[in-house]
Amino acid sequence: MALGEPGTQWLEGNELHLELRGLAPPAPLVLVLRNLGNVPAGGALVAHFGRDPMMLYPELAQRGWAAQRVDGPPDEVRLRLTPAA
Amino acid sequence: MALAATFLSGAKSRLLPASVPFRYFGAALAFHLLAWLLVLLGAAQVPSFAGGLGAPLGALHAVTLGVLLMTAMGASLQLLPVATRQSVGSPRLAATLWWVMAPGSALVVAGMAHAWPGVLAAGAALVLPALLGFTLLLARNLQGARGMPVVVAHGWAALVCLGVLLASAGSLVATWLGWTAAPRTAALGWHVAFAAYGVMGLLIMGFSHILVPMFALSDAPPVRPSLCWLAVACVSLAAAATAALTSAPWNAVFGCAAALGGLVALVGHVLQMRHAMRTGMRRDLGPSFRWVHAGWALLAASLLAALALQSGLVAWPRLAPLFGVLLACGLLSVLMGILARILPFLASMHAPPGRRGPPMPSTLTADRPLAWHHRAHGAAVALLILAIALDSAWLARAAGAAGSVSAVAMLLYFRFAWMRMHAPPAVPAAEPPRTATVRVVASHKSAATEPRLPTSPLQPAAPAGPAQNPTTTQAGVSSGQGTAQATRTAPDGVAPTAPPPEPPGAGLR
Repeated sequence: MALGEPGTQWLEGNELHLELRGLAPPAPLVLVLRNLGNVPAGGALVAHFGRDPMMLYPELAQRGWAAQRVDGPPDEVRLRLTPAA
Repeated sequence: MALAATFLSGAKSRLLPASVPFRYFGAALAFHLLAWLLVLLGAAQVPSFAGGLGAPLGALHAVTLGVLLMTAMGASLQLLPVATRQSVGSPRLAATLWWVMAPGSALVVAGMAHAWPGVLAAGAALVLPALLGFTLLLARNLQGARGMPVVVAHGWAALVCLGVLLASAGSLVATWLGWTAAPRTAALGWHVAFAAYGVMGLLIMGFSHILVPMFALSDAPPVRPSLCWLAVACVSLAAAATAALTSAPWNAVFGCAAALGGLVALVGHVLQMRHAMRTGMRRDLGPSFRWVHAGWALLAASLLAALALQSGLVAWPRLAPLFGVLLACGLLSVLMGILARILPFLASMHAPPGRRGPPMPSTLTADRPLAWHHRAHGAAVALLILAIALDSAWLARAAGAAGSVSAVAMLLYFRFAWMRMHAPPAVPAAEPPRTATVRVVASHKSAATEPRLPTSPLQPAAPAGPAQNPTTTQAGVSSGQGTAQATRTAPDGVAPTAPPPEPPGAGLR
């Protein structure tokens, strides 16, 4: 699977990135939740969405994770997910 | 500025303002109460109901038009844009349609219950344009669809069925008014098949492809089998339409083929959904989903009853009303089960985020009214089936009373979610413990030491939280600049920051 393809994941430092643009719901939600446990210790999961993942926030809340919006291209909603402090 | 631009980009959410879906769901629950009250008041006519104006027909249409279609409209306007990846053409039209549909449905129900053809016709004159407007909105949305072919295909098929439903409904109303119309038997056959199994059945099948995997946290069912079951369902509907137009013996042949085909499509769909539930990260979907299962069973039973009716092998006079009750209660049970799951989720997405983010759906769920609804709904359905089978007005009365209790409980459940959605953000310490059930397959430790570089998205499920921080309480959505206040996209897709809390009741304008 090449970088940039929907569903691709890669590591940058201690950040696990997920490319979720182009995936039909609920795949982005499911992939993020499945990969929360794959985040390196002390790191974060950076999810690249095509739109604001409204359904994700309640699920993150139930799991004790926080979402932080970070800058990205105009056609992307990029979230940095970390355990809530 | 860059950050603001990102928010505005993200703000192009396809989520409608909360007041739009909630007004449809609220009206549906009010009609739910009206339906059971009509069963209670018209209990003497219920067991022997064989068509014709009166309380049973009013109750039936309070369910079909008021509960089922109203919920379908709210859910379609909310969910279809998610599937098609484009927003509803006109949120204002979506909101305005409610103001035509709700009073129109009330007039239709009143006209039927009291045998006032003029009122019935006035209601139909409102409902027909409302449904045409809904058809237009959905058709425009489906036309530019860019994803989820299964949901889109179900949407198109349901829209075709909606057209047939409107034509047959118009013909039946004309008959009540004494005007010349299509033969009543044919129009009635089309009306029942295309309203219940066509519009509602196909919309439920289609949206289940989003909702069930979302609730179960599983992969969406494969496309090809889903389209195959849809094709079987459509062929069955065509057979039902042919059966209504033909005479013996062909009407029985086509009728049996329709019932059998419908049963095959339903079983195929249910097996797909059960597979999604079995393979999802969340195994326990709560007591609400027991009613989804029960609804599926009742729908299968209705198709078996239809098969017995069409074949002529069973000459039991109670079979026809039993078919109607099984069908209505089946659709109602599936819908109430799904609605009980959707409401807290929607409320959570629309609620103003607190210091640590949006409220959890569990904090927006009123457990006691829900438990009352489950018990009372079960009793009401069982009593109504028995009332038909045993030809008992007293059992029908008891069913109406139990159903009214279930409907009031659902209204309280809705009110709780609505009030909490508009309440100021809760203090985190006051929140109850979470109860999400997550299947744990891989350990965080092994994942942390052996992070995987680009691999398949279909990985086994993993723990939901890192081991070093198991006691964190709630998600926060921060701006990335250290501010603790939420900056999540506003649900109306316009304001870049969280909207101020509205007083309860505001927004239903």
